[in-house]
Amino acid sequence: MTSMGLAGIQYRPLSESQVKKIHEAALIILEKTGFTYESGLDDTLDMLEKAGAVLDRDLARIRFPAELIAEQIAKAPERVILYGRKEKNDLDLTEHRVHLGTGGAAIRILDLETGEARGTTLKDLYDLGRLVDKLDNIHFFLRPCIPRDIPESEYDINVYYTCMKATAKHVMSGVNDVEAFYRVLDLAAMVAGSMEALVAKPFISMITCFAISPLKLCTQSTLIMRECAKTRIPVALSCAPMAGSTSPITMAGTLAQMHAEQLVGITICQLTNPGAPLLYGGIPGMANLKNMGYLGGAAECGIMNAAAHQLANHIRVPNYNSSGLTDSKLPDAQAGWEKGLTSLLAAMGGSNFVHHAAGMLESMLAVAYEQFVIDDEIIGMCCKVLDGIDSDEEHLALEVIDQVGPGSSYMTSEHTMRHMHSEYFEGNGVTDRKSRVKWEKDGSRDAWMRAREIVRGILQSAETPYISAAQDKAIREKYNILL
Amino acid sequence: MFDLKLIAQAVIKGNEKELSEIVQRALAEGVSPKQVLSDGLLCGMDVVGERMESEEMFIPEVLMSAKAMGTALKTLMPLLAEQDAAAFGKVIIGTVKGDLHDIGKNLVGMMLESAGFEVINLGVDISPEKFVAEIKNHNPDLVCISALLTTTMPVMKKIVEAIQQSGLRDKVKVMVGGAPVNQKFATDIHADGYAPDAGSAVKLARAVLQ
Repeated sequence: MTSMGLAGIQYRPLSESQVKKIHEAALIILEKTGFTYESGLDDTLDMLEKAGAVLDRDLARIRFPAELIAEQIAKAPERVILYGRKEKNDLDLTEHRVHLGTGGAAIRILDLETGEARGTTLKDLYDLGRLVDKLDNIHFFLRPCIPRDIPESEYDINVYYTCMKATAKHVMSGVNDVEAFYRVLDLAAMVAGSMEALVAKPFISMITCFAISPLKLCTQSTLIMRECAKTRIPVALSCAPMAGSTSPITMAGTLAQMHAEQLVGITICQLTNPGAPLLYGGIPGMANLKNMGYLGGAAECGIMNAAAHQLANHIRVPNYNSSGLTDSKLPDAQAGWEKGLTSLLAAMGGSNFVHHAAGMLESMLAVAYEQFVIDDEIIGMCCKVLDGIDSDEEHLALEVIDQVGPGSSYMTSEHTMRHMHSEYFEGNGVTDRKSRVKWEKDGSRDAWMRAREIVRGILQSAETPYISAAQDKAIREKYNILL
Repeated sequence: MFDLKLIAQAVIKGNEKELSEIVQRALAEGVSPKQVLSDGLLCGMDVVGERMESEEMFIPEVLMSAKAMGTALKTLMPLLAEQDAAAFGKVIIGTVKGDLHDIGKNLVGMMLESAGFEVINLGVDISPEKFVAEIKNHNPDLVCISALLTTTMPVMKKIVEAIQQSGLRDKVKVMVGGAPVNQKFATDIHADGYAPDAGSAVKLARAVLQ
């Protein structure tokens, strides 16, 4: 069974009338309170003003009439396909089809040998990409960590190069400025064979944190977002309000503000280039009120992220959100329950592209190799839940029930043979289901240690370079590749 | 005899109005302004700082305490002898160039202010040159630098170097903070101290200025 693209929406935290109410609240926010901005967005402001937005340049305030928003969001595509470099990795984002994968910008990793937290490197990013490539339930590879061992000026090219070399799954990341965006586009075109081939089937996409909550446009990211729209490279319009610090403490208030921020991002993209593919990128989060950090593993994050999909679906745009964060510092029981709960809620909510769902620890600050294996298992189980219960004639099994008859057993029946590998989730081996005797004989290991062994097995196997030697040579001649 | 614990308790409760009334009552009953400050207000704020440091208290509640404290200090400062009022020290604080994050930095600023320091908040996206110019301008005892991003952390080093090159390094102490920063980084860039949170920043500020 593939766990990709199954239909969610079994869980709806908002009723239909609540969805409408929040959507209308967002429109009121945009008409009454509006957005602010920093310098450097003159072009964007002119474009918005011409389209009907009301600008107060002295107070740096943009207000949006509801008609302008309605007109523009209607142009955003309902379906966005994020391609992999193998067909089985294509992500068909529409309706309530669910995909989960990695994400984040962690700065620490638990060392595979010592278990201690250390700075993340470019080699870590490569090895994590190779690992994810082999974990079937992780559906895409959004760079999960920052390569801290290379100069910042070399980040963008090297991150995209490293991800594309490590995996054939869809690659998403971000860039620092517009120039870097075009360099990355050129790099990906070299891998694709041509720019036309890349644009026809984009196997890379971008995240732009265009909005700084509350209600402020970030100049640099807005400019990058508009270039994505112009070139039709799919872009996730990330905004991550934190309830209690950068949005109201209440869930409904946070969702209304987040939705307003999203409506502005979509409006800017569609005015820039009508029909440009994008993902509604509202990631509702919570501030940790005891230290003002980000709360990752809260149940409320699970509730709100499911609601975010409902709001995106209300305006018929596929969405990018978040699950699988934990505030735990290591792959322990807390990590397990926080990840299991938030990922299940996001999946059952029908979220289309759920990032952060594999590998993360310590809110968003750390990753661990082993955690990717554990989360592959969690995601697989979440998707199994979406798959539900087949009840056709074959699955209802009346024939075999009659055949086996009362008082006998099904262990050796043909029917059992036919279904035993598909009816139940089998997993990657990290879940312990052995007898105590066997478990003790194997060293009485916990999930962390079992996952470590699986990681070692994958990383020690032969590398599959997804960039050919000839392409690699050409790329290295043109760009400063540090891997 | 006025019970100074009442003042500390009102600070911890974060009730601005109640605190102002209690401070007025203490002064009316003849408690010296200096005593109100050091044995009342600051004792209360120390508890708040400790609870913040141990992540027991919600930050919005800490802010209510800091706000109440700020109002009480305004009443008190003109009554203090000049040397007592100036004894706390002057601080400039800012987020480094390329970084727009300011929640943590503002928290540190507020906590320092409520601990009696004179705080000049430069805001965000502050270049090394600007830090140097502001040091010349305000003549502070302490410079607090904040960065949230791993990508802007190196600017902290440049700021310390710029202060060094301008010949002002002996006149000011430098403290650094922010999510990716740690003690090792602070030591490596020759800062005088690192605080992981706003509560410990106050303690550290007192310690480095001793």
